[in-house]
Amino acid sequence: MTVHDLAAARGTDTSAAGGTDTSAAGGDGAAAGEPAGAAAVAPAGPPALAAAGEPARPGPDRGLPLTAAQSGMWFAQALDPDSPAQNTAELVEIHGPVDPELFVRALHRVAGEADALRVRLVETPDGPRQLPLALGPARAAPAPGPARDTGPTTTTEPARNPARDTVPSGAVSSSAVSSGDAPAATVPFPFHLADLRDRTDPDAAARARTGDDLSRPFDLAAGPLFAHALFRVGDERWLWYQRVHHAVMDGYGYSLLARRTAEVYTALAAGEEPGPSPFGRLGDLVAEDTAYRASETYEKDRAHWTEQFADRPEVPNLAGRTALPSRTFLRRTARLAPEATERVRELASSLRATWPDVLIAAQALYVSRATNSREVVLGLPMMGRMGSAALRIPGMVMNVLPLRLTVAPGDTFAQLTRQVVLGIRAARRHQRFRYEDIRRELGLLGEGRSLVGPLVNVMPFDYGLTFAGARSDAHNLSAGPVDDLTVNIYDRADGSGLRIDYDGNPALYEEPELAAHQRRFLRLLTAVAEGDPHAPTGSLALPTPVERDLVLTEFNDTAQPVPPTTLIGPIEAQAARTPDAPALVFRGRTLSYAGLNARANRLARELTARGVRPGTLAAVALPRSVDLIVTLLAVLKAGGAYLPLDPDYPAGRLAYMLEDAAPVCVVTDAATRAALPATGRPVLEPGDPELAARLAAHPATDPGRALTPQHPAYVIYTSGSTGRPKGVVVPHSAIDNRLRWMQAEYRLAPGDRVLQKTPSGFDVSVWEFFWAFRQGATLVVAEPGGHKDPAHLARLIREQAVTTVHFVPSMLQVFLAEPAAADCDGLRRVFCSGEALPRETAEEFHRVLPGVPLHNLYGPTEAAVDVTHHPCVPGERGPVPIGKPVWNTRLYVLDAALQPCPPGIPGELYLAGVQLADGYLGRPALTAGRFVADPFGPPGSRMYRTGDLARRRDDGAVEYLGRTDHQVKLRGQRIEPGEIEAALAACEGVAAACVLVREDQPGNQRLTGYVTPAAGTPGGTPDPDALRAELAGQLPDHMVPQDLLVLADFPLSPNGKLDRGALPAPDRSSAGRGRAPRTPQEETLARLFAEVLGVPYVGVDDGFFDLGGNSLLAARLVARVRDALGAELAVGALFRAPSPAALADRLHVAGDNREALGVLLPLRPVRPGSRTPLFVFHPAGGISWCYSGLLAHLGADQPVYGLQARNLAVPEDMPGTMEEMADDYLAQLRKVQPHGPYRLLGWSVGGVVAHTVAVRLQEAGERVDLLALLDAYPSDQWRDLPIPAEADALGALLRMAGFEPRGDTDREQVLNFLHEEGSALANLPEHTLNSVVDIVVNNARLMRTHRHRVFDGDLVFFTAAAPRAESWLDRRGWAPYVTGRLLNRDLDCLHPQLTQPERIAEVAGVLAPRLAAEPAAEPVGGPADIPEENAR
Amino acid sequence: MALTLEQIRADVADVLGEDPADIPDDENLVDYGLDSVRIMALVERWRRDHGTEVTFVDLAEQPAIEKWAPLLGAAA
Repeated sequence: MTVHDLAAARGTDTSAAGGTDTSAAGGDGAAAGEPAGAAAVAPAGPPALAAAGEPARPGPDRGLPLTAAQSGMWFAQALDPDSPAQNTAELVEIHGPVDPELFVRALHRVAGEADALRVRLVETPDGPRQLPLALGPARAAPAPGPARDTGPTTTTEPARNPARDTVPSGAVSSSAVSSGDAPAATVPFPFHLADLRDRTDPDAAARARTGDDLSRPFDLAAGPLFAHALFRVGDERWLWYQRVHHAVMDGYGYSLLARRTAEVYTALAAGEEPGPSPFGRLGDLVAEDTAYRASETYEKDRAHWTEQFADRPEVPNLAGRTALPSRTFLRRTARLAPEATERVRELASSLRATWPDVLIAAQALYVSRATNSREVVLGLPMMGRMGSAALRIPGMVMNVLPLRLTVAPGDTFAQLTRQVVLGIRAARRHQRFRYEDIRRELGLLGEGRSLVGPLVNVMPFDYGLTFAGARSDAHNLSAGPVDDLTVNIYDRADGSGLRIDYDGNPALYEEPELAAHQRRFLRLLTAVAEGDPHAPTGSLALPTPVERDLVLTEFNDTAQPVPPTTLIGPIEAQAARTPDAPALVFRGRTLSYAGLNARANRLARELTARGVRPGTLAAVALPRSVDLIVTLLAVLKAGGAYLPLDPDYPAGRLAYMLEDAAPVCVVTDAATRAALPATGRPVLEPGDPELAARLAAHPATDPGRALTPQHPAYVIYTSGSTGRPKGVVVPHSAIDNRLRWMQAEYRLAPGDRVLQKTPSGFDVSVWEFFWAFRQGATLVVAEPGGHKDPAHLARLIREQAVTTVHFVPSMLQVFLAEPAAADCDGLRRVFCSGEALPRETAEEFHRVLPGVPLHNLYGPTEAAVDVTHHPCVPGERGPVPIGKPVWNTRLYVLDAALQPCPPGIPGELYLAGVQLADGYLGRPALTAGRFVADPFGPPGSRMYRTGDLARRRDDGAVEYLGRTDHQVKLRGQRIEPGEIEAALAACEGVAAACVLVREDQPGNQRLTGYVTPAAGTPGGTPDPDALRAELAGQLPDHMVPQDLLVLADFPLSPNGKLDRGALPAPDRSSAGRGRAPRTPQEETLARLFAEVLGVPYVGVDDGFFDLGGNSLLAARLVARVRDALGAELAVGALFRAPSPAALADRLHVAGDNREALGVLLPLRPVRPGSRTPLFVFHPAGGISWCYSGLLAHLGADQPVYGLQARNLAVPEDMPGTMEEMADDYLAQLRKVQPHGPYRLLGWSVGGVVAHTVAVRLQEAGERVDLLALLDAYPSDQWRDLPIPAEADALGALLRMAGFEPRGDTDREQVLNFLHEEGSALANLPEHTLNSVVDIVVNNARLMRTHRHRVFDGDLVFFTAAAPRAESWLDRRGWAPYVTGRLLNRDLDCLHPQLTQPERIAEVAGVLAPRLAAEPAAEPVGGPADIPEENAR
Repeated sequence: MALTLEQIRADVADVLGEDPADIPDDENLVDYGLDSVRIMALVERWRRDHGTEVTFVDLAEQPAIEKWAPLLGAAA
C-alpha cells in the first residue's frame, strides 16, 4: 500500500480529533471556519477525490504565480503528467527510540510552517499558479490493510482542549498564500506508519515500500505535493521517509525541513514548546524572483550566458548520444574511502581550492578523456540562495549552471582545478539566471540539444541531526529527473568518506556501463589525490589494470607465425602446381595459370630490361583488362613495386602522380598514353606490335630477382589534406600477411571464382587481383566501368558463377536494389569495406541473399588493405562493428593523452603490427607525423594514427564512430576536403573555398563546395558550372563537388572560425519545366535523367547535379545512356556536360535535325561485335523516333535503325506506291546490312511497310529472321475507308508521340501539348510539320491501294487489346499473307500507347530473346511466352 | 580571542585564495568566489578558533565583511 492510499484511507476514520498547537502557523487561516475534521468527512479515495469537494474555480484568491525555478519543474511534469521523475525523496535513519505520535505532530507542525511546501499547482489562463492547501489533522493512525502492516503503536492523538484550538481539529492553513477570501482545499495529512520489525528483512521491506511510492507521480493540481512515512525497522531503529515534488522543494530545502523537524520533535519529546518557526515565506521567494526578472542584473546575466555560449558548443557526454529523461533512473552508490577523501581535502587545500572544486575538476578530466573531447561542459546544481532570503525558505530555488572547461593532456591537474575555481566564480556572479532560460536564449530548446554534459551535484550539507538525542543520518533516494548522468556527492561528517552516487538515465546507460564509469572515476580521483598535481594530467590513465590488460594484450593476441614470403612467390608456386587450371576470365575468354604466368614472365623480363628491379617503381596505367593483370604480375615478378594509375583520372592528377613517384617506366595503352605527360621515361604499350615481338623473344619461365619481403610491393595514392595526394608504400611482408590471414579465415578453394571489379587505384583491388592466383582459384574480371553498374554485376556474377565479391557499402546498397541481385545465390562470401556498413544494409543483404556470408572489413591504405574483420550475423543489433584484428596486428583505441581507452570509451584508432606501410613516398615529415612510436609494442615498433574514431566493445570488437578530422569517405573513396578546397581556391575568381559532405536528404550524401568570389575579379562571381568543369580536369570524379554554391561571405562563429553548420543547403527548388527536347536523343537522355533521378520530368537544359544527382547516380546514368544510345561515356563527362542537351551535343549522336529526320535514322548504330541490327519502320506520320524507348531494353549491343519517310528533312518527292516506298527503304537498310538474315519491326502503317519489305527481301533471296508487327493491320481492312484530312494528320503526330488524339484540331494546341509532355516532336521545324501532314495523307493513300503478297515465315504480333472504336481491325486478316504461325501478345492499351515506356518495355521483353539468339539456320521458332494462333 | 576586522578579511582571503588587500569590506563576497563550502569552512574555523556562534545562514544571508563584523563581534 502506498502513502497515497493510506493518506486517503485514513480519511474514513471519523473518530479523528485533536490538533496541533496553533502558535506557529494556524492563525486566522482560511480554514478557520471549517468544521472540525474537514478532511475526515471526505470520501474515501485518492487525494484528488478528497480535494474535489472544493469549488472548481479558485475564488478571488488566485494564489501566487510560480517562480521561474518552479516553472521549469512544472513544465517538465506537464510534458509527461504520469511521470514520477520529478519526485525527490530522502530517507533519514534514526538510531534510537522514536515516539511516532510526537513525530507526526512534529511533521505536521513543520509542514504548517513551510508554506512553500503546502501548495498545489494549477493551470490557469494566466499560467500555472500555486494555491494554498489546508492539511487535515496529524494522526499516527495505523495503516489499514494486512494485519502485519499494523504496528503495535496504534496511537490516536489525544484531544487537547478544543477551546484553545483556533484551527479546529488541527487543520493547518496558510495565511501566507491564501488571502483568506476563499477556503483553501483541505487534504488529509499524508503520513504512513508501519512497523516492519516482524519482517525477515525489515530494511528491504521498507525499501520496497519507498521504491513503490517513488514510482507514483504526484497530481500537481490536487496536492499535497509531499508525503511522509515512518517505518520501524528495529526496536531502536526507525526510518523516516519523505517524498516531495521537485517543483516545491530542492535539496537545500530538505535540509531546512529535516533540521526543523528534529528541532520540533526534540522539543515536543522534552515536553517543551518548540521555538518560533525559522522559515521565510513563499511569497518572499516569488517577490524576489519577480524583482530579479525585472532587474538590470537579469539583463546582465543574460548577456553573460549568451556570450559565453554563443558558439553553442557540442557538449560531450559519456553515452555519446542524448535521450529524453526517463521516468526512472539507475543509481549506483559508492564511497570514496576515508583516507582517499582526506587526501582529496588535502589536495584541495594545497591548491587553495575546496574539495568540491577538486571533484569537479576530476570529473571534467574523466569526461574529457572518456569522450575524447578537449571541451567539456559540466552542469553544476547550485543552491542559489547566497545573499538571499531564500536561505531560510524550504522551497524550490536551485539552479543548474554550465561550467565550460578546456582539458588538455599537457595541462596539470592544478591548472585544471584553477580553471574550475575561476569558472565557478564567474558563473556564481550570474547564478540566478535560469538554466532553462540559457537553453532558450541559445535556441537549444527547440533543437532538443543539451547545454551541459554530466551534472556534478555536490551536497556539502550533512545534517547529522538528533531526534531527542537519537542520532540520525540522511540518505538521498532521488534527486529529481536525470537527463543524462548526475553524479551526486555527499560529504559525510561521520568520517566515512564521500558518498558518490551515479544516477544515469536508463535510456542512455546500462547498469554495468554506469558501474564501470563510476569505478574508473573513483580510481582516477584516487590517482589524482595521490599524484603530483603539477604533473601533466596526460600521465593519468582511465582504465583499471584489468581493463588495460584486456585492451592492450588480450584483445590484441594475434601473433601467428608466417613464412617470409612475398606477394608474388606463392602465385608462381601455384602456377607451377596447377598450370592448366583456369586463372583468369575476361569477356568470356579464359586464360590458364600457365598461360597467364608465361605472359607475365615475358613482360617481367622486358621490364627488367627497362630497369625494373626490387626497390623500384613501375607505373601501370591500364583499364581493367587481361593486360592490366598480366602487367601487375609482371612488375612484381621483376621485383618492382607497381604504381596503379587509373586511366579514368584526369590528366592533371596522373601527371602529378607520375612526377611525384618517378617510376622507372610506364605501362599503358594507346588511349591512356595520350593523357599522360611526356616524362622521358620508357613507355610500354602491350598492344604495340614491336613490343609483342620483343616479348615473344623472352623466355616464359619465372625470372630470377633479389626480392625480399621488406621490398615495396605497391604504391597507392590517397587524398592529401594539404592539397597534394600522397603515395603509400606497402611492403611485401605486409600484404603477404594480409593474404595469408585472409586465406586462413575465408578458405578460398580452386573452385572459387573471385570478381575483380575494384579500380586498381583503390587498395581493395590488391586482394582481388592476387588472392585467387595464390590459391588456384579463378579471377573473373569485370568490364571497365562495370563496377558501377549493378545490372552488369548481377549478370556477371550469375553467368560467371562468381563466388567471392567485394562491395563498398553504398554500392552494395545499390546492388541489393537491383532485382537480379537475388539470383546471385552462388556467392559464397561477400566482403564490405571502404566506409561504414549500415546495419540496415547488412540486414537487407541477409534478406536478399539469405545464407550468403557477409564480412565487414576495415583498414586504411596505410596498413595493407584491411586490419580488422567482422562476420555479419543476421538479426544482430546496433552498428556493424569493424571487428577484431587480423594476424600479427594490434589495435589501440587511445585517448588524447595516448592512454588506452577502456571498452566502451571512444578514442582514436591506432594500428600496429606487420601490416603497416613503410610510409609516404618521399614525404618523411608526413610519415613521421602519422607513423609514430608504439609505446605498447616491442622496442622500435611503430603505430599508425588512423584519424578514425573508434570504440572497443566488451567482446573486443571495434566499432567505427567517425573521423577525428574533416576527412570524409564518400562511397568508399577517401576524400580530404582540404585537397578539393585547395583546387577550388586556385580557380580564377575564387577567394576562399570550403568543401564538406551534406546529407540533406537521408541516404543522399553529396559532396558540396562553397566559394566566395575574389574581390575585383573581372566577370563578377564565378560560375559554378565552370568551376566544376575546371575541377573535373584536375581531380578524380568522386572529388568534384556535385553542388557548388557561391556565397558572398562564409558564416563565421563568434570566435571567428568558419561555422560549417551554418552553411546553406543547396536549393533544389529551381528545377522546372525547361526547354523541350529537339531530337530523339535529347528526348531519350531527358527521359533517362528523369528515371535515374527519380523525378517525373527533366528539361533538356536542367543540370543533373542540380536535380540531386550524385556520382553513384551518375554512374547509373552513364550505364543507361550506354545501353540506350550505345554511346561510351565517362562519368566525368557529366560534370562537363550536365544537361541532356549538353550531353547530346557531346555525344554527337544524331545531333541535328537533318540526321534525325533522314530516311535512315541510326537510333543505335552498329559497332564492332554488335548483333544483327533491328530495322524499325515509321508509323503513319513518317517519323521513327517513337522507337527510341526500345533501346534501353534491348541491350547495348543491339543496333537499331529507324526508317523514316522522305520529305521530312528537305522537300522531296514522296513514293507513289507502297512497293516503291519499300524498295527505297530496302536500299537504305542494305547499306547497313548488305545481306540477311534481317530483323524487321513496324508499328501501325510501319507494320504494313515492314511486311512489304520482308516479302521483297525474301523475293530477293534473303532470309528474314524476324517480322514483328505492332498493332498493324493489312491493307484489306483499310481499303474502303476515307483518306484522312489535316486534323487527322495532327492526330497522327500525337499518335507518334504515344498519345491518343484528343479534341485538339489546332496545330498550336497539339504542339503545346507535345511540348508539355516533353516530346521531341514539339520542336519539329516548320517544313517538317507541314510535310508530316502530307506524309500522313500519302501513307493513307498507299495503304488503301496496296496489295499484299505472302511472307514465308512466322509473324510476331502485338495487339493493342483495349477496346477501340475501329472494332473491325482483326489480326487474323494477316492469315492469307503469312505461311507460318501468328504469334500474338495482347497488350492492355490503346494503339497509340504502344510506344509509351511501359508498353515498349514489354514489347522489347518479348523481342529481346529472339534478337539475342544468333541467326539460326531455321527460322526463329516461337518462344513459349507467345500464344500461337493458327494463321490459316 | 575576539575576531578583528583584519582577521576576518585575512581568513576570507585565505579561503578564497586571494590577497587580503584585494578583499573589500563592502562588496558581495560571492563575486569573489565565496560559496557555501567556503562559508562552512569559515563558520567552523571561527567557531574553533574564536568561539563564535554564527550559523551558515547568518553569513550566507549577507555575504559581505562589513555585515559579518557585528555578527562575529568584531570591532570595526
